[in-house]
Amino acid sequence: MISFAPTEDQKLMVESVAAFAKNTLRPKIREFEKERGISEAVRKTAHELGLGLVALPEAVGGAGLGMMTAALLEEEVSWGEPSAGFAFGGPGAFGFAVLELGTTEQAKAALEPFTASGGHSCFGAVAWGEAKPNKDRAGFTTTATKSEAGWTLDGAKAYVVNADRAEHFVVFAQVDAAAGWRGLGAFLVDRSANGLKVLARETTLGLDAVSFGGIELAGVVVPDSARLLGGPDFNAAMVRFFARNALVVAARGVGLSRAAFDVTREYVDGRKAFGKPIGHFQSVAFTIADRAMDVDAGRGLVWRAASAWDVYDAGDRNAKDEKECLLRSAHAVAFVHEAAMRCGDDGVQLHGGAGFMRDFPVEKLMRDAKQIGLCGMTAEHADQLAGAVAIGAVIDPGLVLPTPETQNAFV
Amino acid sequence: MPIEFSLTKKQLEMREGIRGLAKNVIRPQALSWDRAGGIPEEFLRNMARLATSMGSNAMRSGVGDETEEEKKEAETKRGPSGSNLFGVLASEELAWGDGSLLLGLPGPGLGGPPVRSSGTAEQKKRFFGVFQDLDDSPLKWGAYGLTEPNAGSDVSGIRTSCRKDGRHWVLNGRKCYITNGARASWTVIFATIDPALGRAGHRAFVVEKGTPGFSVGRIEEKMGLRASETAELVLEDCRVSEDNLLGGEEKYVSKEGFMTAMKTFDNTRPLVAAMACGIGRGAYEYACDFARHNYMLARPVPRYAAIIERLAKVGRSLEASRSLVWRAAWMADNGLSNAKEASMSKAMAGQAAIKACIEAIEICGAEGSIARDHQLLEKWFRDIKVYDIFEGTGAIQRIVISKRLISDLKSF
Repeated sequence: MISFAPTEDQKLMVESVAAFAKNTLRPKIREFEKERGISEAVRKTAHELGLGLVALPEAVGGAGLGMMTAALLEEEVSWGEPSAGFAFGGPGAFGFAVLELGTTEQAKAALEPFTASGGHSCFGAVAWGEAKPNKDRAGFTTTATKSEAGWTLDGAKAYVVNADRAEHFVVFAQVDAAAGWRGLGAFLVDRSANGLKVLARETTLGLDAVSFGGIELAGVVVPDSARLLGGPDFNAAMVRFFARNALVVAARGVGLSRAAFDVTREYVDGRKAFGKPIGHFQSVAFTIADRAMDVDAGRGLVWRAASAWDVYDAGDRNAKDEKECLLRSAHAVAFVHEAAMRCGDDGVQLHGGAGFMRDFPVEKLMRDAKQIGLCGMTAEHADQLAGAVAIGAVIDPGLVLPTPETQNAFV
Repeated sequence: MPIEFSLTKKQLEMREGIRGLAKNVIRPQALSWDRAGGIPEEFLRNMARLATSMGSNAMRSGVGDETEEEKKEAETKRGPSGSNLFGVLASEELAWGDGSLLLGLPGPGLGGPPVRSSGTAEQKKRFFGVFQDLDDSPLKWGAYGLTEPNAGSDVSGIRTSCRKDGRHWVLNGRKCYITNGARASWTVIFATIDPALGRAGHRAFVVEKGTPGFSVGRIEEKMGLRASETAELVLEDCRVSEDNLLGGEEKYVSKEGFMTAMKTFDNTRPLVAAMACGIGRGAYEYACDFARHNYMLARPVPRYAAIIERLAKVGRSLEASRSLVWRAAWMADNGLSNAKEASMSKAMAGQAAIKACIEAIEICGAEGSIARDHQLLEKWFRDIKVYDIFEGTGAIQRIVISKRLISDLKSF
């Protein structure tokens, strides 16, 4: 039955997270930006609120509340501080990677450190991207070679979210060079592994409190048990991981869009020109109306996708439900990435010169909007994925996932 | 009830039923209706019967706006799914078949809601009574006469005059772009006792066909929706009984007269938006099929990726619109006021569907502009434009929305 009403439990959780976002996160956004991270005390509170483990099933140590609840809470957090969802501590993308690609046992073991009391300072990361395309063949330059001890990883990964904070990585590498983008493998690698070097953190356009960086792997040896096989179809599992993770990023995008919308709506209410509030001029008011539609429609798409995932997870994980998840997620991701940018851009525009000044939060939100659109999956990749599902084409990981051959994204 | 988007069993059955009908019966005739400029009455009668059997009472008593008893009766037929959600789901499917059909179905149409919300008990009985018999008597329609040659979006600017004369009112003026205007048994006509009074001067009358001084001007030739009748109505010293003043004199002590006109739209805008989604979806699916059969195997990847991206953009805009449509309908079913959300759904769906129809033609290339029996892209392209115009233009929707977002914004 179609319904847009959250459950009573969800309402209570949203209320408490919204209060946390309003009272704790929003007043500190410039502090987080300057410190280039979320302070430990705030991360602790987030961990106590259970944020970060919401969507992961109980079987692997998560809260088992589902993707819908996660989407609701991620929006609230991101409304307070768009970096926070990435920078709170917790497994992040790593959690979804081990969930989709690992066995239940692997996922449970990998997620254990995040559920413990020190979880607020425990980060996970997915090392997917690479700085440059491989000139000689399709696929990643980083390789995983079978050896007696297990697998040996060599190469360098880039655009890794939380690279310098993470204790635990999922590293994607080429296991079958001839198979191109269909020849990848995924491996659990600890930061302490011999031969793993964390590279210097990047300085970025936005989301300043999130750490973006890379790692180098020189003869890193992991046991066979560290390989995540992705069930019967590795490529399908990989695409599911991307779609699920990108959907969570999209929920954050909705929060960001709403934040930019809210501060702008307030501004046009108060700012007077030609004898009346500027919001009383039609060009301004219509822009406000359009951005309100962006926020609401984006949320609608995110909810639709989150609901599809919850149906998929509760059912027998069949191919039809899986397609629904991919299509809905891709719609949500592409729409929200673009909508967030419109909300940020129009937000600054309607503030006029004031929007360009750091006295107001809107310039930060505009920078964050561009940055968040490059996280998880870009709108362009999401469109390729949605289009492929819509016309029933084979889903080509080299086309629908962010690679150095197409367009890199931070994962 | 948690947030979810699955349909109930009854909704699914209904949707599958209408989907089959739209595909096998409606769409194959759509182009011939377009060329003939109308839909055969017998077909309309059958459609009206079918809709009534599915629990819709739109043929008898207005759009999504029923009494408690009627609601109960309809619910036993369609399940406790809410009449507005039922309406938007059905509208999308019917419009997928043909955009004109729903507008041409017999019944009070847009004239229903104002009579329902403002009419006296006697008026409701009298005016809705004419629709009771779907089987034997000739088909009947109601209509809604608000727009004038010089007052469209600015409803408060209507100039059709009304003046009390004994037990009658004398009406003078012209109404235009009236759906089913020529064939309507009665039309709700909005007029003013004095333009200087603005909204407070407005009065609404139910003017019956055949009333002396009430005539049909021209039937419009339109770009699209050519199977739907759009007429001009002329009032020349038209004497209307005071019994036909909607709601009686006391209704107009306050400004409610004007608000009556507006109330109509909160329920109908999501329906119109759903129809736009249906037409847009038709074009989108056509283009997806075309891409599947023409580009997927035969063209080099870069060309194909560009086509895919365009399709995906259309797909997600339609889905975004649908989410707004469903939300507005769900709110209405749950007794939540939804003027802003109804306008959002209409504003987004109209433009998304226009874009869908344009993109579909471009993706199909020259083939896309050819009219054949089962190739309707060019018709959809013509039909869809008005969905961003009627029931309030995109600009009007943005006025409705922004007034509810910006403080103390009464008017521009």
